Amino acid sequence: MIRHVLGIRQLEVREIEHLLELGTDFKKRIVEGRSVPEIKQKVVGMLFFENSTRTRVSFEQAAYYLGMKTANFSSAGSSMSKGETLKDTILTLRHERLDGLVMRHRMSGAATLAARFFGGPVVNAGDGQHEHPTQALGDALTILERKGRIEGLSVAIVGDVEHSRVARSNAWLLSKMGADIRFVGPRTLMPDTMTMLPGKVCHDLPTGIAGADVIICLRLQRERMLDGLFSSVGEYASMYQINRETLAFARPDCLVMHPGPINRGVELDDPAADSDQSAINAQVENGIFVRMACLYWAFGQEGMGKNFPQAIAAAKAVSKPKGKVKA
Amino acid sequence: MRILLKGGRILDPSQELDIAGSLLIENDQVVAFGPGLNDASADDVYDCHGLWITPGLVDPHVHLREPGDPHKETIATGTQAAAAGGYTTICCMPNTNPPLDSPSLVDFILDRSASPGSGGVFVAPVGALTKGMDGKQLSDLFALKRAGIVAASDEGFPIQDSMVMTKAMEFCFQLDLPIMAHCEDESLSRGGSMNEGAMSAMLGLKGIHRSAEEIAVMRNCLLSLHTRCQLHVMRVSTWGAVEMIRQAKYLDAPVTCEVSPLHFTFTEEAIGEFDTNFKALPPLRTRIDIDLLLEALNDGTIDCIASDHSPHASHEVDVPFEEAPFGSVGLESTVGVTLTRLTHTGVLSPLETVRKLSTTPARILRLEAGTLKPGETPVAQVTVIDPDLEWTLDRNKSFSKSRNTAFHGMHLKGKPVLTFCGSEIYRDALFGNHRFVEA
Ligand SMILES: [Zn+2]
Repeated sequence: MIRHVLGIRQLEVREIEHLLELGTDFKKRIVEGRSVPEIKQKVVGMLFFENSTRTRVSFEQAAYYLGMKTANFSSAGSSMSKGETLKDTILTLRHERLDGLVMRHRMSGAATLAARFFGGPVVNAGDGQHEHPTQALGDALTILERKGRIEGLSVAIVGDVEHSRVARSNAWLLSKMGADIRFVGPRTLMPDTMTMLPGKVCHDLPTGIAGADVIICLRLQRERMLDGLFSSVGEYASMYQINRETLAFARPDCLVMHPGPINRGVELDDPAADSDQSAINAQVENGIFVRMACLYWAFGQEGMGKNFPQAIAAAKAVSKPKGKVKA
Repeated sequence: MRILLKGGRILDPSQELDIAGSLLIENDQVVAFGPGLNDASADDVYDCHGLWITPGLVDPHVHLREPGDPHKETIATGTQAAAAGGYTTICCMPNTNPPLDSPSLVDFILDRSASPGSGGVFVAPVGALTKGMDGKQLSDLFALKRAGIVAASDEGFPIQDSMVMTKAMEFCFQLDLPIMAHCEDESLSRGGSMNEGAMSAMLGLKGIHRSAEEIAVMRNCLLSLHTRCQLHVMRVSTWGAVEMIRQAKYLDAPVTCEVSPLHFTFTEEAIGEFDTNFKALPPLRTRIDIDLLLEALNDGTIDCIASDHSPHASHEVDVPFEEAPFGSVGLESTVGVTLTRLTHTGVLSPLETVRKLSTTPARILRLEAGTLKPGETPVAQVTVIDPDLEWTLDRNKSFSKSRNTAFHGMHLKGKPVLTFCGSEIYRDALFGNHRFVEA
């Protein structure tokens, strides 16, 4: 059975649970040095139209652990940059007999289009401002490890919500799992109408993060300033930075997260980024395991991951990795 | 040759006529209509029982893509699609390649459309308002008018500079040439690909705010009011734009407007999972906009219905949403969609339906069309519509070269079944053979 991971929005709760459970299981096995079921003799294409070393390396690690072969494509210098349409690129890769695709593209919906024409599983590694489902799954796994649950948590997503695929995927995932979502940011960086996104909007940081269990900071793109969407980095930081002072509005055990790369001194100050409350490094590591889960699931592999509550308990138990993880 | 359309419902808004009767075409001219016409001397008799007999339909807004993009559509295929859609006169837009800004290009279009391979409908070209449609320097509008343009427009590249637009209106008023305006403030819409709203927020697509349309409509209406230039607002989509036009009409500005079936049928939600067939300009809006568009159709604020037939090849449409071109083909779906969505639902009476599809667009653009009155059109222009025919739109059964329609698979009620422009130029396969008697 072939499945696509195009967005969290299209996934059902039980599918999300299954992916998290698989991610936990993979992590446990790898941390404990046990074997992992392999997807042998499958080649997955890494199709990155937009550079992202972090995400690409994470997917390559995931594929490596699963015993898959990867084929790398980047847009520079290839036919993709020579006027070939995306559809033709995808059809070519299909006839190159690639078994699956991991795709990053700067346009929203590009992965959806690829899935229409590719024929094998497609995992979205970020499409425009639409979704970044594996980032959200990694973040959810991190929250599960640190909080033991998602249901009932109060999560504030802070920053440039309008242009953030991370914001959308996280909001869908965490709200589907029963968390309460607040989008916090200036009106200029927030979509006009948010009725089809799961969360409440708040423009004031102290109110928006009041009592929050988790704060997910979003990366601020400096070029938005040139578009007139905020006046200066200094003003943004003075209104929306997460630091010791502003963290006082959240719960004392509030988890601080960021998809990276961080603009230190803008979205977060150093103490907030490096404190015990910060889960930023765990997010990176967990990204690998949920990407394994996505590949495993997308390729229709069965046999692992049958019991979600147990998996959550297990997640808590492995939250302090003892073994050495190649990341 | 005497052709009798026998025993139908004659709907002619130009004479406020809604009667049961027959219509006689002799030597390509309408010669008589009314109840009790005798068919004894007719050569061919079409049994029109249960069907509407209307003036040939008039589409004020069609893209024929020639010269420049014959892979999307040609004048031949576009006019064939028009005939199949019940049209006898269509206005073709100037955003060809090169744009329609010289008299020789007007000649080319008129020649091509009159050639035997074409669909047999009249093509009334709309000229580019500025040279190269660059929004800066006016085209040679006097020469273009003499060559045969019926209006001027910069279509999808609307003039942004208000002074240029003012001068364009002053000159067009002098020439007695209507301006057709797609209204968009590009400083607000730049980079957008769908309505700015809940759906664009969800899909992560840059939106086009409704005010981009409304500000431009308001500016153009005010300039029309002050210059007295006749302004036709192309395909309105928001309730605010309709309100501006209503206000302009109240102030007695010479303003008219059209709507396309896309905009009164679909909301932004039709885009679903990035379906580029629903990428429209202006973008598909919301339920409240549709409700108020219907109200404005009903009360006459919206004067007419245009297909905005916008063909694009499949390789241009099967791309990421932001890269896709705007628009949908529409010549062969507009009547079906209009009857299904407006007539059978009571928004428009049959007579008003025909008015908006024929008589009014002909009046706005001063075309010799939109009437059944003998001698008022160069040749007989008559369309027969089966208002109750139920059918499913299949994009693969189309005369157009392109398949990019938002209406594929839609179940419709009402279809043009016969089109006469002089002689018969289209007879639908669903027009039963038993209805046709050849002498
Ligand atoms: Zn158009």
